[in-house]
Amino acid sequence: MNERLLLGRSIETGSWVHKLDARSKLTGMLLYVAVILLSDSWLSMVLLAVFSITIMASTRIPLKYFIKAAKPLRYLMLFIFIVQLLSVKEGDVLWSAGSFSLHEGGLRLAAFSVIRMLFLITFTALLTFTTTPGKLNQGLEGILAPFKKLGLSPDRITLMISIALRFIPTILDESQIIMKAQASRGADLQELPLKEKARMLVSLLVPVISSAFRRAQDLVYSMEARGFRMDAPRSRYHRLRWGAADTVFVAMFIIMGVAVALL
Amino acid sequence: MNKAYQDVENAGGVLAVIQLDGVSFGYDPEHPILHNISVSIPQGQWVSIVGPNGCGKSTLVKLMNALLPKSGGEITICGHQLGEETIGAIRQCIGMVFQNPDNQFIGATVEEDILFGLEGLCLPYAEMEERLRTYTLKLGIEDLLAKHPGELSGGQKQRVAIASILAMKPGIVIFDEASSMLDEASRDELLRILQGMRSDGQYTILMITHDADEILASDRVLALHGGGLAADTTPQALFRNAELLEKCHLLEPYPWRLARELQSRGIRVDVPASEKELIDTLWPYN
Amino acid sequence: MAIQLEQVSFTYAEKSLWKQTALHDITLGIPKGLLTGIAGATGSGKSTLLQLFNGILKPTQGTVKVLDVTIRAGEKSPKLLPLRRRVGLVFQFPEQQMFEDTVEKDLIFGPLNFGMSPEEAKERARKAMLEMGLDLALLSRNPFRLSGGQMRKAAIASVLAMDPEIVVLDEPTATLDPVSRAELIAQLERLCREQGRTVIIVTHRMDELLPVADRWILLKDGKIAFQGSGGELAADPDILTRCGLGVPHSLRYWHAIAGQFGLAGERPRLTAESLAELIASLPGTVRSGNTAGMGDAHE
Repeated sequence: MNERLLLGRSIETGSWVHKLDARSKLTGMLLYVAVILLSDSWLSMVLLAVFSITIMASTRIPLKYFIKAAKPLRYLMLFIFIVQLLSVKEGDVLWSAGSFSLHEGGLRLAAFSVIRMLFLITFTALLTFTTTPGKLNQGLEGILAPFKKLGLSPDRITLMISIALRFIPTILDESQIIMKAQASRGADLQELPLKEKARMLVSLLVPVISSAFRRAQDLVYSMEARGFRMDAPRSRYHRLRWGAADTVFVAMFIIMGVAVALL
Repeated sequence: MNKAYQDVENAGGVLAVIQLDGVSFGYDPEHPILHNISVSIPQGQWVSIVGPNGCGKSTLVKLMNALLPKSGGEITICGHQLGEETIGAIRQCIGMVFQNPDNQFIGATVEEDILFGLEGLCLPYAEMEERLRTYTLKLGIEDLLAKHPGELSGGQKQRVAIASILAMKPGIVIFDEASSMLDEASRDELLRILQGMRSDGQYTILMITHDADEILASDRVLALHGGGLAADTTPQALFRNAELLEKCHLLEPYPWRLARELQSRGIRVDVPASEKELIDTLWPYN
Repeated sequence: MAIQLEQVSFTYAEKSLWKQTALHDITLGIPKGLLTGIAGATGSGKSTLLQLFNGILKPTQGTVKVLDVTIRAGEKSPKLLPLRRRVGLVFQFPEQQMFEDTVEKDLIFGPLNFGMSPEEAKERARKAMLEMGLDLALLSRNPFRLSGGQMRKAAIASVLAMDPEIVVLDEPTATLDPVSRAELIAQLERLCREQGRTVIIVTHRMDELLPVADRWILLKDGKIAFQGSGGELAADPDILTRCGLGVPHSLRYWHAIAGQFGLAGERPRLTAESLAELIASLPGTVRSGNTAGMGDAHE
């Protein structure tokens, strides 16, 4: 069941963002990270928000999907907010009780951190929502291609990533079944004292790892039987095509970056 | 096609697409897993490989395309003698469908999985597109191209695996217990696919199986036992040989068993093709 | 009743966007001391249903009553540990539950978790081995070195070692060879008949379970499509086709012959032996059926 919720789940709507070259989306993503780091005023935050939400909306994927993507990290964000709020003692005092005080600078930094994190996560989700893992990998391979001269093998890296993406959900699913099997024999992780938990974890890991190795062996057989050889030449069905839309897409991020830097 | 292969064809002899001569496998020469197996399989034949678990069935087929290294003997596939430099050519001749539908799904989507092998063959775009269309239609999975393995049933995943392999146009297709993790409906479907492949005429099929219906549908049975070839026979002869069935951990199909039970009670009937035929035979005047 | 479900629904990931209802409005009863088969096509909700039986999953709607424990949707459930000892759940692949380096250690894992003393646990382990027809010499072996059939039986023994009143098995015979499958089914029937345990088996191969099951539950798309005795099922085999299941030969032959002779009310003869015996006793049976035109060997 997990398989449906996890990594690399693209949501097809056929929007212009979906049709972009994966390389432009990856480049855009890198630029976006720079934009986020450069944004340090309320005005740039507003600009960032308008920019991000516009692009998200243009994918025609409901916004709630993006919000869901950030949900697992809500406690971390809350924690960061509180720590920043309490520790930064700059700017006007907003509220104080004895030696304890909250400052305007603290509130600002805390809010910025959370907003940055929120946008970073939701925007990364945009990448996986609009790009199938295969295309993403091909894009990554394209971007890494120049590194071939440095002795780095992009094919290997992307093959590794694609196999990991393919099998992580399967192995998580299986771990869940194994956990249920152990719980059925009285070893429920949730109901046990801490020191017993460690022992139970071992009982979980042995079958999970041995099964992962079995899967790996099967996969190797299956790949070799289909004639796969590492570093052998391959043709491509989906070719990367950099169009005008891609140039526009990347340019938007550059303009955004310049705007934020100037603010 | 290489010369030796053509010579056989020209000589008008029966073309053996798989030729094993004294093949052995094992890391310990004292206790080989497979010992001195010789067999010759002509083009177009559908062969069942049976035997108890652990008798080396799966090992034997994996030797044929060098997924495992043989320790002795000669293997010739489609005229290529198996060796370091022919592995690539031989793997192009042999397609393999494995037992676990999940572990042979390489791509993240159905389309990617089928393309994995085609891209490895360095085919041009138009050829890939053509094969993608042909074989997804053939296996009835044309609507599933964008699906992830997690969204497919076991039977659908096996059909994807078969499409991925047939799209590479192998002459030999090996099914390694491909139906044992499927439910009944998916098993029936697989059997129909196999029957379609046989009537196609271009495939030599090797199938490791315990399933009586699958064995009955095939042309020939190789029974392995204790690392050796225990019998090279027909499905009908296998199911009449109680001793061999026992040795291979197989059970006869229900109609065969019923006919045998009736015969032992003095009712002489042949194996009925259907319940109606049995009734018509036993009570012709009703 | 050993297990009773009243209007039970189960939804996976209820609070997420990808929520999925696996079971809809299930009401069923599984009687004590009998052998019940559960069948359904892939994705019909069989495995989900099993996990409700020992509280691994809790219903999102309705009430699950297992032995004397009641689990209601939305209410805090009672402590489930004691229930899990009394309801042994065996998952499909033994590789998913064996993890120790000897069979014995694996077998005493459950009993120790439920608070038995080591001596008591070892005694239980030996008993469970014998119940599954396994040689005690295997106790010191590595479970991963056993044959497929032995490993499957050892995994079941590791649940039996907890001495459960109800044993629930998910596709226990999958991937085994036919002889090992028949042996395992015979062993499971003995658990029910000789030890008086309630045995519940999920399967997609009905042929092997038909002769031994007292009752059947068929699922289709998360709903109950049939529940009743083997005889009731034999009276209407078409229900299997509607559930996306094949009709086994044994059922087909019985149904045809019962129809011919008006035997529908009788206990169905679902083995070749018992059916042959019946045919031999029926009036007007032609003793030499080697009529012309019938080929020797049919496919």
